Amino acid sequence: MNKFAVLQFYGLLRREVLEHRNLFVGAPSVLALLILVATAWVATQIDQSQLAEGLEFVSMLFDGLSPFDMAPWIIPLAIPFYLTLYVCSVIYLINTLYQDRKEMSVLFWQSMPVSNLQTVLSKIVAIVFVAPVFYVLIMFAMYLIGMIWLTILGISNEVDLVGIGWLFLAAIVSLVLIYISAVVTSLWLLPSIGWLLLFSAFAKKTPLLWAGGVFILAGFFEDFIFGTQYLANWVASRTSDPNQYLILEFQKVFERVFNYDMFFGIMVGSILIVGAVFMRRFTD
Amino acid sequence: MSHIVEAKSLRKNYGNFTALDGVDLTIPRGAISGLIGPNGAGKTTTLKALIGLCDVEGELSVAGRDPRIARHKLMEDVCFIADVGILPKWLKVSQVIDYVEAVHPKFDRKKAEKFLSTTDIPANKRIKELSKGMVTQLHLALVMAIEVQLLVLDEPTIGLDIIYRKEFYDRLLNDFYDGNRTIIISTHQVEEIETLLSHLVFINKGKIVLDSLMSDLPDIYAEVLVDADRVVQADALQPIYVRELLGKKSYTFESVPREQLEFLGELHTPSVADLFVAKLKEEKHE
Repeated sequence: MNKFAVLQFYGLLRREVLEHRNLFVGAPSVLALLILVATAWVATQIDQSQLAEGLEFVSMLFDGLSPFDMAPWIIPLAIPFYLTLYVCSVIYLINTLYQDRKEMSVLFWQSMPVSNLQTVLSKIVAIVFVAPVFYVLIMFAMYLIGMIWLTILGISNEVDLVGIGWLFLAAIVSLVLIYISAVVTSLWLLPSIGWLLLFSAFAKKTPLLWAGGVFILAGFFEDFIFGTQYLANWVASRTSDPNQYLILEFQKVFERVFNYDMFFGIMVGSILIVGAVFMRRFTD
Repeated sequence: MSHIVEAKSLRKNYGNFTALDGVDLTIPRGAISGLIGPNGAGKTTTLKALIGLCDVEGELSVAGRDPRIARHKLMEDVCFIADVGILPKWLKVSQVIDYVEAVHPKFDRKKAEKFLSTTDIPANKRIKELSKGMVTQLHLALVMAIEVQLLVLDEPTIGLDIIYRKEFYDRLLNDFYDGNRTIIISTHQVEEIETLLSHLVFINKGKIVLDSLMSDLPDIYAEVLVDADRVVQADALQPIYVRELLGKKSYTFESVPREQLEFLGELHTPSVADLFVAKLKEEKHE
C-alpha cells in the first residue's frame, strides 16, 4: 500500500470522526461528566474523615496486588461506557450509508476518487477500531481526574497512597481489556454490522425499520415454510450471553478470536458487507 | 478531434419511467458543451451516468474509461458539481479542504486557498452557515484546484442571484478553462450559457434531439422573419417550427440552403433558446 493510499484512508477515517463526533466523543464525554458530577455529589454527602478512612482501607487492600489480577474487578465501572458504545454503534451503522443520501451530499462524496469499498471499509474500521479508542481515552481522563481527586484527598488526610497507585495501574490495564473486548465483540457481531450497513445502503427511508422488519420477516417465513427457527436461534446464540461481550483476561483473547464460530460469523458478516458495497454502488 | 465522451444507445428505466431512451452522444475534448433540456428530460441521469453514479445499459466511455467500472479511478480525471445543496453541511470550510486534499491526488491546496482568499468565505464557518452563493463559490474553488480533464456541472447556478451566477461563469472561463479541459454544463437557463458554448446537445424525453458544434449551427439552422407575401413559399420549404412575431411569421428551418431562404425575408441564425423551442415543438408535432 503506497503512502497516498494510507493518507487517503486516514482522511476517510477523519471524516467519520468529524461527521459522527457526537457518537464518538460527545456521548462518552457526557457520560463521564455525569459520573464525575454524581461521584462529587455523593462525596459531599459523606463525612470527610469517613472518606479518608475508606481511602486508607482501599489503599491497603490493593497495595502490592498485580494490576492484571485487579483489572477484572474494575471492568464493571466501564459497563455504562460499553453499553453507550454499542447503542451509538447501532445508530452509526444504520445511518452511515443512509444519511448522506438523504441530505444529497452523497453526490459530493462520490465525486471524489474514493471507491465504495474504501468508503464502507472506512466506516467499519471507524466503528470497530477507532470509536473504542475515544471511549477508552475519555474513560482514562475520567479515571485520571478521579485519581487526582483521591490523591488530593489522601495528601490532605495524610493517607498512604501506594495502594491507590496500584489501583490506577489496574484501571489502565482494565481499559486495555475494555478496548480489546470492544474490538473482539465487534468482530463477533460482524454479521450484525454487515446487516445494518446493508440496509443503511439500501433503504430510501427508515433504514432501522427495514433492517428489523426484514429480519423478523425472514424468521417468520423460515418458521412458516420449514417449521424451523435456525436464524433466530443462531442470532440468539451470538448475542444473549453477557460473557460474549467482555474479555476479563488477556489469556482468553486468543481463544475468543481463533475459533470456528468467530470465523463463520466473520464470513457471514463479510458477505453482507460486500452486499452493502454493491448496494451503495447501485442505489441511485 | 478526439472525444472525451462517447455514448451509444444508453438506456435507463426507473420502474415504468424511461429516463434514457437510446442516448447517443459524443463530446469533443476541449469543448464547452451545453446539455439543454426541459425538466425531466434526462439531463441529470445522463450526467450521473457519465460519472458512474447511475447504472445504464449501452456503450459508454468517458476520458477513456467505462464509468461503470472503477468509478473512483475515473474521478481522478473528472470533477462534478451538482446544484448548490450537495456539499456536506456539517463540515467546516477548512475541513472540506482537508478532506479533498487527503483523498484527491490531483488537488492543489494552495490554489484552492488562493481562490477562497478572493471571496468572503471564512475558513472556520460550517457549510450550513454559508449562503447558497458562497457554497457554490467554495465548490468551484475546490474543483478549480484539481487538475482534471473534464468538469461536469449539473444546474450549477440554480437558486443563485444574477451576481453570483455571472461571477460563477466568469471564474469558470477565466480560471478553469484553458482550451484543453472539457466542460459539460447541464441547465435549462439557456440564455445564460449560450455565449460560452462551443458544443450543443438538446435532450428531450430521454432522447438526444440535437448534437452539434456551435460553429456548425449557422450552416444547419436558419430563422427567417417571413414577409407576408412569401408565406406560401416558406411553408413549402418544410420549416421545423413557425411562430408569430411582431405581426409576422418567424420560420425556423433545418438543413435548407441559405440561398433558398434569403428571398423570404430577414434571415439570421436562431438563438439557442429559439432553436431549443423549435426542436422541442418539432418533436411534439412528429
